Order: sequence, then structure tokens, then C-alpha cells
Amino acid sequence: MIERTASPRLECDLPDGLLAVRAAEGDEDSFAVLVRRHSRSLLTLACCMLGNPQDAEDAVQDAFVSAWRRLPEYRHSAEFRTWMYRITVNRCLTMRRRRLSPLSLNTVVEPVAGDAWSQPDRSAERDAATVALTRALAELDAGQRICWILREVQGLPYREIAHMTRTSEPTVRGRLFRARRSLQEAMGPWR
Amino acid sequence: MALDDPHTRPPEPPEADGPRTGSAAADVLPFPGDQALPCGRLLSRVWEQAQDEAPAADPHTVSCPHCREAAEGLATVNAATRALRAVDPPGLHALADRVMNAVRTEVGLGRLLPLADPDRDLRITESAAAKALRQAADGVPGARAATCRLTSAGEGTDIRVTMTLVAMLDRPLPERVHQVRRAILHSAGQDLGLAVTAVDISVVDVLEPWPPHPGAGIRTGGGA
Repeated sequence: MIERTASPRLECDLPDGLLAVRAAEGDEDSFAVLVRRHSRSLLTLACCMLGNPQDAEDAVQDAFVSAWRRLPEYRHSAEFRTWMYRITVNRCLTMRRRRLSPLSLNTVVEPVAGDAWSQPDRSAERDAATVALTRALAELDAGQRICWILREVQGLPYREIAHMTRTSEPTVRGRLFRARRSLQEAMGPWR
Repeated sequence: MALDDPHTRPPEPPEADGPRTGSAAADVLPFPGDQALPCGRLLSRVWEQAQDEAPAADPHTVSCPHCREAAEGLATVNAATRALRAVDPPGLHALADRVMNAVRTEVGLGRLLPLADPDRDLRITESAAAKALRQAADGVPGARAATCRLTSAGEGTDIRVTMTLVAMLDRPLPERVHQVRRAILHSAGQDLGLAVTAVDISVVDVLEPWPPHPGAGIRTGGGA
């Protein structure tokens, strides 16, 4: 008999690359681990980009389903995480374009309301700061907003952000600077 | 910068991002709206340093009151950013189930393989059989299955299994591969009722702990 120390959730300790290989062969359980592992950061990203939790959920769900379909072609030239970020960012940009097209350019995306993000155990102060930041983010130029979220919320390196947004590293740094400047000004009253 | 998430990459060392060299304002082109502080440093550069680099990485910023004041100007934004990162976004808990329900509606049957009972013409999908054999391989300590393909091996119900593995290097590989082969044959015969007559195993990568320890060096990622 074979020595077995396997736990029922063995996939949970596998690296992304291995899970992606297995998922590409149709292994849903491996894909489910990837989904659970990356949902939080992708949903935060989409929430910040779209400003609306329902749209953000739709964007991330679409991104994962698209990834599942494209996994057999995924060549591992980028990390799975980076690949997923790219798909999600593109999905969010498409949704924003669709949503904004019939509206005036001056329309500001309604920021995430307090009731959407708030949870009973959160302090009012943190709540207020988060809402103020989300509101300030919604008023940023789209390019600046993406760069800021990917760097400051997601912690991605500049070269990955440049690759994902199809720009150069100096452009990313310039957008980050302008985003920081605008956010600092907008958040001034919360000091 | 990193999220409070074990799967998020730790902050990169400064050189990995290729910081702009030369700290003095004269060395770099300012961004639109940038400004030089009284000490000569550019505001954009001071903010980058404050956000990206370890405190005290630059002796100037440690002692310069202008740089310190400029960096502290981002404190409110940073505090709100930390709060944003700390909160689960709405809808998170239901999302994984929604995604997997959508994915499962797309899963087709795929290829069917004959079980070793020709009289009753029983079949199993390749994906279901592969899943069971991967689990069998995963049960061998220090080994994890990557790809697993099952093909017909000549006449009748004979099946050939071709598997790629990642394995730890704490024990000799031939011994581990032998264990995996036995586990596959056992599972194929006992759990599935497949007549596996050949098992080809290739070790394609080194299995390392996951999530990777920060600063543990470059991970191969287990890619096959």
C-alpha cells in the first residue's frame, strides 16, 4: 500500500503555475484554488477602478471565466497573477468605456457608498477615510487611477504596471506622481 | 506596498524597479506639475523614495526637514490606502462560488476512455480519470502532479498514462518516481478500474514551499 499523508485540500499548497497547468487540462478544483487565492486582490482592483461593487463583481467574474477559456493557450511567460491582472484591467476598461459612452464626459463615477464597503466592526474614522479616498480616486484621470491602484494598493513593480497599461516606466512614474498630488489635495480635509 | 495577503509578492528591493538615478533635481526631467524643494530634491522623487524604499536608505532624506515634510504630506493618503487594503471588498465571499458555477457550465465531457470491462462497454472521461490519478500522485509526500494525459495503448482497453511531476529534492528522484508510479497503478486499478499498461513520468520542476517565503530568492513557479 502506498504511504499517504494527503489532506483533502492538497491543491491549496500548490504554486500558481502548477495549478494553472492542471486547470488548463480541465481540472476545475485547481482552478477553484486559483480563484479563491486571487479573488480578493482582483475584486479590490476592480472596485477601485469601477467605483461600483456590482460592476466590479461582474468584471472579475468575466475575467476569471475568460481566463478559464484561455488557459490552454496560457504560456507561463508571465506569472498567473500578472496574467489575471491584465485580463481584469482590460475587462474593467471595456466596462468603463461602455458605461461612460452615452454619458457626458463630465459625469463623475459615483463613488462606492459607505453602505457598500462598511462592515459592522469597522471604525467610523476608517470608513470615512476609505470613502473619501474612493471618491478622490473616482475623480482621477483613468490612466492615473490604474497606475496608482496597481502600485499603491496591489504593490506591483513599475515594469509590470507599464506592461499592463501598455506604457513606459517613466509614464507610469509620471502618472503616479500626478495621482499622488491629486489624492493628497483631495484628502487634505481628512488630515 | 504589498497587500496583507500571503500570495502577494513582497515589496521589491529598490534596484528591482530601477529607481531613477541621481537624486538632485538637475539630473532628471521633472514631471508636469513637479516642483523642486528648497533642498534641491524633486517632490516626485522624494515621494517615490518615501513610498518605495526602506527608511534611511538615503542619508539626505533622513536629515533633510524639507524632504521629511514632503513625505509626511502623503500620510493621510497612506493611512486611507491601508484602510482600503484591509477591508474585504463587498461581494468577495460569494464571488468564488459564482465564478466556479459559471466555469462548470462550460466544462464539456471531453474524451472518453474504456474501463477494463469490455463486456459492459463502460467509459470514463479523461478529465475525471486524470483528476483521480493526479490525486494519487499528490498523495506521495514530496511529489505533485502537473499534467496528466491518458491515451489508448494499442488494442482493447489498455491505457497509457503520461504524467509530468514536480518533486522535492530531499530524497532521490528515482525512488520518488517509483512511488508515484505505484500510486498511479494502484489508483487506476482499484479506484477507477482502468487497465493501465504503461506509465511515463517526467520530473519537470522542483517543488518548493508555497506560499514562497519573502526573500527566499527566485521561485521557479512550478511551471511545466
